[in-house]
Amino acid sequence: MAAVQETIDQVALIDVDQYKYGFETKIEMDKAPKGLSEEIIRFISAKKNEPDWMLEWRLEAYQRWLTLEEPTWARVNYPKIDFNEIYFYAAPKSTPGPTSIDDVDPEILKVYEKLGIPLREQEILAGVKTPRIAVDAVFDSVSVVTTFKEELKKAGVIFMSISEAIREHPDLVKKYLGTVVPTTDNYYATLNSAVFTDGSFVFVPKGVRCPMELSTYFRINEKGTGQFERTLIIAEDSAYVSYLEGCTAPQRDENQLHAAVVELVALDDAEIKYSTVQNWYPGDKNGKGGIYNFVTKRGDCRGKNSKISWTQVETGSAITWKYPSCILRGDGSRGEFYSIAVSNGHQQIDSGTKMIHLGKNTSSRIVSKGIAAGVSQNTYRGQVSTHRKAENARNFTQCDSLLIGDKCGAHTVPYIEARNSSAQFEHEATTSKISEDQLFYCLQRGIPTEAAIALIVNGFVKEVIQELPMEFAVEAQKLIGISLEGSVG
Amino acid sequence: MNMQTAITMTAAETVLVDAYTAQIGELPGEGAVLSARDTLLADLKKQGLPTRRVESWHYTDLRALLRSVPAADPTAFAQRVDPLVDGSSVLSVLNGKADPKGAPAGVNVRSYRESLIDGVAAADLVERDADDAIGRINGSFVRDGFEIEVTEGTELEQPLELQLVQSAGQSHMRFPVTFGANSKAMVIERHLSVSDAPSLVTTVCDLIVDDGAEITWIILQQQGEADSHLAQVNFDLGANASLRLFVINAGGKLVRQEVHGVTTGEGSDFKLRGINLLGGETHTDVTFTLGHDVPNTTSTEVIRNVLFDRAKGVFQGQIRVAPDAQKTDAKMACNTLLLSDDADFSAKPELEIFADDVQCGHGATVIDINPTHLYYLRARGIPENKARAMLVNAFVDEIVEELEVEAVIEPLEAIIAIWLEKHA
Repeated sequence: MAAVQETIDQVALIDVDQYKYGFETKIEMDKAPKGLSEEIIRFISAKKNEPDWMLEWRLEAYQRWLTLEEPTWARVNYPKIDFNEIYFYAAPKSTPGPTSIDDVDPEILKVYEKLGIPLREQEILAGVKTPRIAVDAVFDSVSVVTTFKEELKKAGVIFMSISEAIREHPDLVKKYLGTVVPTTDNYYATLNSAVFTDGSFVFVPKGVRCPMELSTYFRINEKGTGQFERTLIIAEDSAYVSYLEGCTAPQRDENQLHAAVVELVALDDAEIKYSTVQNWYPGDKNGKGGIYNFVTKRGDCRGKNSKISWTQVETGSAITWKYPSCILRGDGSRGEFYSIAVSNGHQQIDSGTKMIHLGKNTSSRIVSKGIAAGVSQNTYRGQVSTHRKAENARNFTQCDSLLIGDKCGAHTVPYIEARNSSAQFEHEATTSKISEDQLFYCLQRGIPTEAAIALIVNGFVKEVIQELPMEFAVEAQKLIGISLEGSVG
Repeated sequence: MNMQTAITMTAAETVLVDAYTAQIGELPGEGAVLSARDTLLADLKKQGLPTRRVESWHYTDLRALLRSVPAADPTAFAQRVDPLVDGSSVLSVLNGKADPKGAPAGVNVRSYRESLIDGVAAADLVERDADDAIGRINGSFVRDGFEIEVTEGTELEQPLELQLVQSAGQSHMRFPVTFGANSKAMVIERHLSVSDAPSLVTTVCDLIVDDGAEITWIILQQQGEADSHLAQVNFDLGANASLRLFVINAGGKLVRQEVHGVTTGEGSDFKLRGINLLGGETHTDVTFTLGHDVPNTTSTEVIRNVLFDRAKGVFQGQIRVAPDAQKTDAKMACNTLLLSDDADFSAKPELEIFADDVQCGHGATVIDINPTHLYYLRARGIPENKARAMLVNAFVDEIVEELEVEAVIEPLEAIIAIWLEKHA
């Protein structure tokens, strides 16, 4: 029992207040007035020089949103959001569209430097042997700079901010936007459709294997601004793309809303790999502040033998409400979901996935690892379903929860729906604390408790970490360490 | 949710509400009982039957599924049948009318009608929670049942069979049962239908298992193809008490069997074993919740489902571990053989854990018969249909075998074999 007590003591010592990335950048911001109305949407649309169809699309979504009610089914508690107190648009003022990295406000560059983002091309190029990453950095809603555009262009890959894409490739955007997550999908997706300010757009044409990992760092900065990202990734026939998304946000007193929508479309034989490391401000040790992360992420395996793989490491945010899903429409398509969700302090996570089997011979795999510490609540909520015509659907689901401390909660809510006798579904879930035997084994070999726990937790999540691209795997392990500081090395 | 807006009542809802007005004069009980009934019916009227928007009824849209409710049929006739196990004591309820004679020594029984009349029952007639449609319907219309007390230390040699025979119409029954400390008993709650006429049967069993009692409760549901069956078992487990609950569904058109329990004494153990044999057009739902409220309690749940034809099956199982319930060990498994493309099965196994020093897990599988197993048998000259039947039988028999008492296992195996022969 001594070791257990020690763990609990150490968890009690965790000071979530010492948020490593909790600094604030003072940059002049260009803001719309607080609150939401048709005027604000027109303002956002005008600011972005959007075509009329886009404005109409937004207004339609807004009208729809007004008729919707905020969902309450998730296992999260928070005071009601006053949408009239939120700034729906904030952009750094200094941007008439920077042409090169030197034009970017050095303040912003410093922020990224602190975060350790390899934004500068030369830095990336310097590491000749490491895989190269193109970064489309998002600084409060507006893409500040896009690197490697040229090289990607050569390959035929379009990688730009969504606002740019709306102007430059309206046909592509029109064809795919809202086809995976319709504007009517859910409360927050509808809100996003009305007010999204920026995000990334990726188009990988037929037969192209994207020559580098694409990456975006989101960062919420201005006080009281909700951030509404919209990401759209399309992989045409036999294309491949790996997209990394990483997030850190500075410390804030009031809660900030983030309601993003991510849409992925994979056509015949295409593959999209989407990885996320989310480390937004989780609030202080009394549960004050922190980000509300209400995200709709969905991939559509539209073509034959297409594949979409979601990997996420969730360590931040006060509240996470997020279900990256796959619609397995094409015959032989495959969906994957790998997740590590770490909650500490007063964090609340309700996350999971949906695997909707519609085509024949589709398969899916879900591996979810939840780690709850402090007084946090960590819920896995997932759905696996087959359509009546979806022959030979195959699913494997594994949800494991690890509890550190006796004040936290871990919950599992899977929905398994089989409509075809050829379906083969397996689901298993376990909840336990760190095994005394494993701990004892380590201690006996002279490994200190803290290192031992780190070792065990890392072993617990290894299956998911392995799915992350190299660069992210390191960052993810660091983040898990920071999140569980005190109990994990 | 939509509580403010008046709902448009469905045919079934209208029949229920009208039936209440029509029957109010003859329903047993006055004063507190009557006002409890009124409250329940008012809630039913206000909220209607639950739809899939109500989370705990997500897979059983009662409002859509319960299309019609047969009127009470006072002329319907039903007769006792032989007990499942020879030598059992039988307490029968024929078309909703309970006969409290036949209790073995050490067991006190009186009809629930008496409890309704003298008002003792008033305390029972409450909703478990806002989604308790069964409690609401049953509480509004309950007319009879048994109040049973197995006295402290009583050990029953033979099973006690609660024989509920329905031929037509409606029956709403309640069974508050107390198992005294250190008592031992096996109770068989048996639902039978003796005609093809549609019926609606609702039952609520409230079991209190006192410290050290060892109880086996078997629910054998064999209603007819046109029957609706809404049943609820609530239990409370004392210290070092053990309850084994076997649920066997082999009939009924619309079946919802709810099991809700809490462990309130340390060292208690609960086992749920379920066999759902689903064929034809049945919609059968087994919904289970268990709260491990105190430390050092254990539970295991194993549900086996077999689906043929156009059957629809549902299993919802929730295990909650309270903040101080350390050393809880809870394991749940739900295995399904889906043998028809027109059948469907939905499972929602849930864990809700607030304590850290626990071992909890659940597993759920859905699959067709393993072709290599089939091949093995066929290679040995066993025809395909027979081989399939053998494999299905083996799949569910594992559960029956756990009863250990041969006298009980045999008749249950026979029932399963006959059912499989009819549907496979």
